[in-house]
Amino acid sequence: MIIEKRIKIINKLGLHARAAAKLVKLSAGFKSIIKLHNGNKQIDAKSIMGVLMLAAAQGVELKLIAEGIDAEQAAEDIAALFNDCFGEGE
Amino acid sequence: MFTLHGNGVGAGIAIGRARIIHRPGQEIPKYNIEPEQIDQEVTRLADGIESAIRALQTIKQQIPAEGAEEVNAILDAHLLMLQDPMLSQEPSSIIRAQGINAETALQQHADHLEKMFNDIDDPYLSSKSADVAQIINRIQGELLDEQGSLTAQPEGKFDDQIIIANDLTPADTIELTKHRIGAFITNLGGPISHTAILARSMKIPAIVGLHGAIRYLHNGDLLIIDGKRGVVLVNPDEAALITYRRRREKIVSRIQEMDALLNAAAETLDGVSVSLNANIGLPEEILESVAQNAAGVGLYRTEFLYMNRETMPDEEEQYEVYSHVLKQSATPVTIRTLDLGADKQVDGGRVSDTITTNPALGRRAIRLCLHDLSLFKPQLRAVYRASVHGETRLMIPMMSNIDELDQLFVLLDEVQQELTSQGYDFDPDIPIGGMVEVPAAAISADLFADKLDFLSIGTNDLIQYTLAIDRIDDEVNYLYNPLHPSILRLIKITIDAGKAANIPVSMCGEMAGNVEYTRVLLGMGLRDFSMDPSALLEVKRQIRLTDTAKIEPKVNMLLKTADQKVVKQLISEINE
Repeated sequence: MIIEKRIKIINKLGLHARAAAKLVKLSAGFKSIIKLHNGNKQIDAKSIMGVLMLAAAQGVELKLIAEGIDAEQAAEDIAALFNDCFGEGE
Repeated sequence: MFTLHGNGVGAGIAIGRARIIHRPGQEIPKYNIEPEQIDQEVTRLADGIESAIRALQTIKQQIPAEGAEEVNAILDAHLLMLQDPMLSQEPSSIIRAQGINAETALQQHADHLEKMFNDIDDPYLSSKSADVAQIINRIQGELLDEQGSLTAQPEGKFDDQIIIANDLTPADTIELTKHRIGAFITNLGGPISHTAILARSMKIPAIVGLHGAIRYLHNGDLLIIDGKRGVVLVNPDEAALITYRRRREKIVSRIQEMDALLNAAAETLDGVSVSLNANIGLPEEILESVAQNAAGVGLYRTEFLYMNRETMPDEEEQYEVYSHVLKQSATPVTIRTLDLGADKQVDGGRVSDTITTNPALGRRAIRLCLHDLSLFKPQLRAVYRASVHGETRLMIPMMSNIDELDQLFVLLDEVQQELTSQGYDFDPDIPIGGMVEVPAAAISADLFADKLDFLSIGTNDLIQYTLAIDRIDDEVNYLYNPLHPSILRLIKITIDAGKAANIPVSMCGEMAGNVEYTRVLLGMGLRDFSMDPSALLEVKRQIRLTDTAKIEPKVNMLLKTADQKVVKQLISEINE
């Protein structure tokens, strides 16, 4: 199963180290292969170095592609984390 | 013996042995690896990373549960980075491809990563680079097996040692709080860096921003740290040691005394209660004020918000900052409106666009504000709006004409009406006060007192204006004299005017924070002092040793003499 989803970064600091850590920890819990695209840059959502390199600041829209048996759940949970501002409140 | 200088933090003196902990930025040894030893070198790198991971995990387990969420999250990120193949695989490949040692391979990869980060267009980039640099340094530390890699030390080993580092990370600071450290020295960092904050909370001295510390100091060097002067004495001789041991003893007993004072009442021997408040400029300074148990803020200098920047802070920014201060502080907080002009210029060019021959007598402070309402109104609105967060007082600097107050009150009415019609919550009854720092205001203090809710004496300007001397002019500053009878009389007039009008009079100039004058001011009837937070306990100590009834007659004599020899004699009698 392949799920594709558009996700907008709404938290103030973007994907900084702490937010990235939360994203990577969440992604690592799924069996699916999870990739994030920003323009023509593509990274593995289970690699924190990759996530940090994504240059994802506030307002940027990312494309998430999850492939595997739990892809649907993965896409949903990850989108929720972004929309919750990584639990940072802003 | 030689000495080094940096920014001193904390007043104490520490004597101990140097312990250098991981040295980011130090020379990375570079050498070739024989082909048959390549596998071994790759394993060494993997082991280094593994040790770094274990070290961080240990630190993470030791974090106290409460209030460490932020640090925990950073450590999580660092752990994930250490475990990320993107970090570890490439250096292994470099070792194999180039036949070089693990440290060099790791550094090559770190440089490559930094270049990649530099190519990214991201406003928070620098913090990411710093995170990467921190974990690379941690691995390098493990590879080089540096003496003093923090976590390798058994419990208690750091006791009484002087910790020397390039800079301290949040992880280091957690580890270090468990030991009885003598002092810190860091190459980097300013007075509000991690290290400085940690040193203050541990009540030990530190020297930060001592560039080259790591180059000049060695493990085991005997060091004397003088936090007050920002000096390090390296391998001192016997005479210096004896002197500093004696000073340290004195300071230790003094610190114990000050600790006891912290919770003692500001009350004289004959039971007169005094209010001790803090002067602050930067919003961060509120922490110092709270730490010293100030009753409130007697002077919040808002001009710092306007300085060193291109544009003026808007209403919203000011509202945020004032609210923050009000929430953090003991109240009331006395917010002084912009005191710009004269010696405090704004970078934006708004204030300094015309050259005046004598800025101290020019359009400054309340004069400037009433002239430029686009500057003044947003501030007044922000103060009123912030007033819902705590007891607020508004104070006008440099008042000299009653007209100015009349204009101010019209303006305040207008601001209140606007805020009400816009649906904002605010306290319409915040006390409005003025600073007495121009002789005109002091001499006619009764007329000003009739219109205001409080007065506050600013001695620095009052002395300059009264004695007609510029304090920063070397040729006349010897004439600067807070005990000149004219100054004491103006202060007395102001205090008496406040009493007659039944409004409080405080003093927020430097004189209020100088123990030399505490008794004189008490003798003249001052009961409300505001000063730099660092002076609060000293002044409280002096107040607690004072009997106002005994000193009043002598203070009255002081007001009646111009003979400085007599003044000196009276002061020493008052202060004995």
